[in-house]
Amino acid sequence: MTEYKMFEGCTIGNRIPFIEAASRKVLDKIGVQTSQAPFSCCPDPTGMKSFDNDAWLTIGARNVCLAEAEGKDIISLCNGCANTLRGVCTQLKHDSNKKAKVNSELAKIGKEFKGSIDVKHFVDVIKANLDSVKGAITKQLTGLKVACHPGCHYMRPVEWMESDDPMRPKNLAEIVAVTGATVVDYDELALCCGSAVTNAYPEHGAEVLKKKMDSIKKAGADVIVANCPACFQQFDTQQRDLSKKYETDYNIPVLYLTELLALAMGISGDDIGLKFHRVRLKEILEKLG
Amino acid sequence: MSLDFEFRKQIMDYHIGSEAIKYCYQCNRCTDNCPVAAVTIDFYGTTGYNPRHIILGSLLGYKDLLLGADKLAIWGCTVCDTCDEVCPQHIELTEIFSFLKNISSAKGDAPDSIYAQAKAIYDSAKAIPSQPAIEKRREQLGLPPVVAPDVNELQSLMKNIGADKKLK
Repeated sequence: MTEYKMFEGCTIGNRIPFIEAASRKVLDKIGVQTSQAPFSCCPDPTGMKSFDNDAWLTIGARNVCLAEAEGKDIISLCNGCANTLRGVCTQLKHDSNKKAKVNSELAKIGKEFKGSIDVKHFVDVIKANLDSVKGAITKQLTGLKVACHPGCHYMRPVEWMESDDPMRPKNLAEIVAVTGATVVDYDELALCCGSAVTNAYPEHGAEVLKKKMDSIKKAGADVIVANCPACFQQFDTQQRDLSKKYETDYNIPVLYLTELLALAMGISGDDIGLKFHRVRLKEILEKLG
Repeated sequence: MSLDFEFRKQIMDYHIGSEAIKYCYQCNRCTDNCPVAAVTIDFYGTTGYNPRHIILGSLLGYKDLLLGADKLAIWGCTVCDTCDEVCPQHIELTEIFSFLKNISSAKGDAPDSIYAQAKAIYDSAKAIPSQPAIEKRREQLGLPPVVAPDVNELQSLMKNIGADKKLK
């Protein structure tokens, strides 16, 4: 049995740990084992990479070294972390100059990037274990209309992520469909949630999110399913302000993919901390019975 | 507004491994597909965030246009990588934008959130440091504590690279 090193990431680990709880329970159910490591920030492909690209590469490579030391692949619960770690591995494997430069820095702390392990996004691990997922589902989520949001860094740049169509993603929808829920199509599926630009320009971030939400609302979705904590937070924490700003009642709850799967596997909402969501899930939980 | 040939050379040198940027023919697909351009550019395309202008400005060496008073010129990017995907010349636009943002960060011109995150990573090795309330919540949810990262190692790396000098 393969055991992965768990890379929960800063946002999930230190801000919204209920997502980690659901993820660990679902991975247990499908027989995917994990263990911990003293990982630092990945670091953020939208923050640290913009601040200092060399630091981004070197700190990312250092995290990979920690998993290499144990000879185990990494499983990431976050688009940003998966994007950074896969991006770092791709760049260093294809650019010997960059690799030499990074390794000269790592040598000073007694480490060396070899490129001997793989970094997996949890969506890809779940997709590879779809039969086990089907076997663990005890409750069909029939009638639930889901708008999928895979998020930019799950699929782009495709040379790093290599798992889905970068402009017409389908993996998330394929997994959601096994729960018996109905995946609704919407025009802005590949659109960014606006999270990264929100940090610097909240007004522009709100405009991007509005486009996304208008499209999701038009499609008649009961719930948004996401697989990135930054997107999750953008949807979950910004919706109330968005509704006020644009005088529109959005109020569409958000579930992490693993939260949706946990519900379909008969795990109680109380055990995975669904009460910590800002946009209340009461209506859809009642609908599901 | 003047041309800065040194700046132009820096970008050309940075984009090593691919000379694609030189073959940009300004088709505007990047801007047409940019989510931030869509909500900021005016009808005539003179104001707002415009990735095509960044590539043109880089090619010609218009440093002031990209690294001047208008911070939105480069920091409007939401790092969605859509432009990279749709570019017919396979230019890695986001990599060029990162390079420009790195220069801007060194000048002290980045948005506050960029410095705040870098400082948190320098101080705690995490973008979001561990907090007692969340540690307690993790315990209530039956989660193991987050394993503490080696802050000293991260600080050594950042100091050796010189990233610590860019912190505010």
